[in-house]
Amino acid sequence: MVDRKEIEHLGDLVKVNLQDTEKYISQVDQILNYFANLDKVEYDSDTTLRKEISYEDLREDKHEPFLVDGMSLINKLKRDQNNFIRAPKMI
Amino acid sequence: MDIGISATEYLSLVRNGEISVEEFIAKTLDRIHVVEDKVHAYITVDEQNALNKARSIDKKIKAKERVGLFLGMPISIKDNICTSGIRTTCASKMLENFVAPYDATVVSRLKHEDVIVLGKVNLDEFAMGSTTEFSYFGPSRNPWNVEYVPGGSSGGSGVSVSALECMISLGSDTGGSVRSPASFCSVVGLKPTYGLVSRYGLVSYANSIEQIGPIARKVEDIALVMNVIAGHDSHDDTTVEKGNVDYVKDLDAGVKGKKIGLVQQMMEDGVDKEVSTATNNAISKLQDLGAECIPISLDSVEHSVAAYYTIASAEASSNLARYDNLRYGFDLGTEGYEFKAYVSKVRSSFGHEVTRRMLLGAFVLSAGYYGKYYLKAQKVRAMMKSQIDETFKKVDFLVAPTMPILPFKIGEKIDDPLTLYQLDINTIMANLTGIPAISVPFSISSFGLPIGIQIFANSFQEKSLLHAAYALQQTTHLPEVPL
Repeated sequence: MVDRKEIEHLGDLVKVNLQDTEKYISQVDQILNYFANLDKVEYDSDTTLRKEISYEDLREDKHEPFLVDGMSLINKLKRDQNNFIRAPKMI
Repeated sequence: MDIGISATEYLSLVRNGEISVEEFIAKTLDRIHVVEDKVHAYITVDEQNALNKARSIDKKIKAKERVGLFLGMPISIKDNICTSGIRTTCASKMLENFVAPYDATVVSRLKHEDVIVLGKVNLDEFAMGSTTEFSYFGPSRNPWNVEYVPGGSSGGSGVSVSALECMISLGSDTGGSVRSPASFCSVVGLKPTYGLVSRYGLVSYANSIEQIGPIARKVEDIALVMNVIAGHDSHDDTTVEKGNVDYVKDLDAGVKGKKIGLVQQMMEDGVDKEVSTATNNAISKLQDLGAECIPISLDSVEHSVAAYYTIASAEASSNLARYDNLRYGFDLGTEGYEFKAYVSKVRSSFGHEVTRRMLLGAFVLSAGYYGKYYLKAQKVRAMMKSQIDETFKKVDFLVAPTMPILPFKIGEKIDDPLTLYQLDINTIMANLTGIPAISVPFSISSFGLPIGIQIFANSFQEKSLLHAAYALQQTTHLPEVPL
């Protein structure tokens, strides 16, 4: 059973100010109960799906400038200041 | 002039000089003006550029210069696929005014062949949903009955093609998002094999399962698009070469001698009676064409919805962490805010469904629950792939209803996310295992709502999948859209 404290903690983890917390509690709880059916699956293999690609098949690791209208992307950002992004104060 | 013609018919008419590109584009834009208030397929219409491009293609045709394969065919693009010069909103407030600095590979390939992009079409926010009701810009409506949902998340794609507001659309399919609107709107929708079509420029939601796929009114039009968009892209290392495959050639090869499996678990409880009758009729039609049909049991289907939503939510919560309103975002100044408070405030503008999935994703990935949910989900996925590999040793195709129920009324299920998730049970197998699947319009219910039939094939067998879809299409005689 997911409670208010857990939902608020999850909200904190995904960095969202939750409104309508009660609605999320009941819906997330109902969905997680449904997900819990996965526990009933009996499948012995410890494999998960993956595909191996050899290093040689990857594209060459070389720098290709990405310019838009002759400008690098960072200079197109609204809050760019001398190649830095202007963010709110951390402390 | 009939704008409801297929892409193949359009190419022939333009090539023979019977219609001009400008005439056709203008007529399609007129149609958009007339029906858009009723169906709301588009988020952005790029009218002036479309007309200018049409005139320039007409000039090239007259001057006998090189013109791309599509001869100015009007298309729409789901608004989570990047287009330079037209905003890409993902139907979210977070990207309301975002204009991508580049075209997605699928868009640049189609533009190189002279399609005309009429605009960007509606979706559930960040492609999370199956009804298009979770769009920041409001829901799209089903052209067959505007009180009903058109399916989703590529609802705008399905609606724009069905309502004759374009000829072809590109959607994206993470759990059925191309096939669901195709089924609900009576058009054709293909989810290609994972890795056949580049995802470069598709705004990420769940990278390991999503694919871009075409929606059109005819199977032959889907084949035409696949010839251009399929194949390796150096910007997406999950893609593979398609080789010399020509999806258009021999499209009428038929299904004689093919073995087709009807997936039992997709025909059980909860399937609408009219849908199951239509599916059985489709099987009979395929048998009449010389296919052998047998029942197939895939018990992993029972756990597929839980596995799919665990994996998709986990990938979504990770992908959406980038939206902090600093690199992407809407207009809210940073002055006076502390960092954490600022980010949390702006991220609260995500809609309910996106927030719900981020919460679920954070939960299933957290230390104490990772083994119970995420790892188990990955095992179900591996189990399903193993069952699919074995099954395709016995049959050439699998068949099931695309959607277990008929389209339902807008608002009817919006507060019941689990029920909405469970409606994806027939489509998500293709995403979890990577195989291709196509929805073909097959019949119309007693209340006038479309029913689509889904055909699956083994990985990279799109060519034979299109043969089967074309064969099924040729058995149908469906009414025109009543709009």
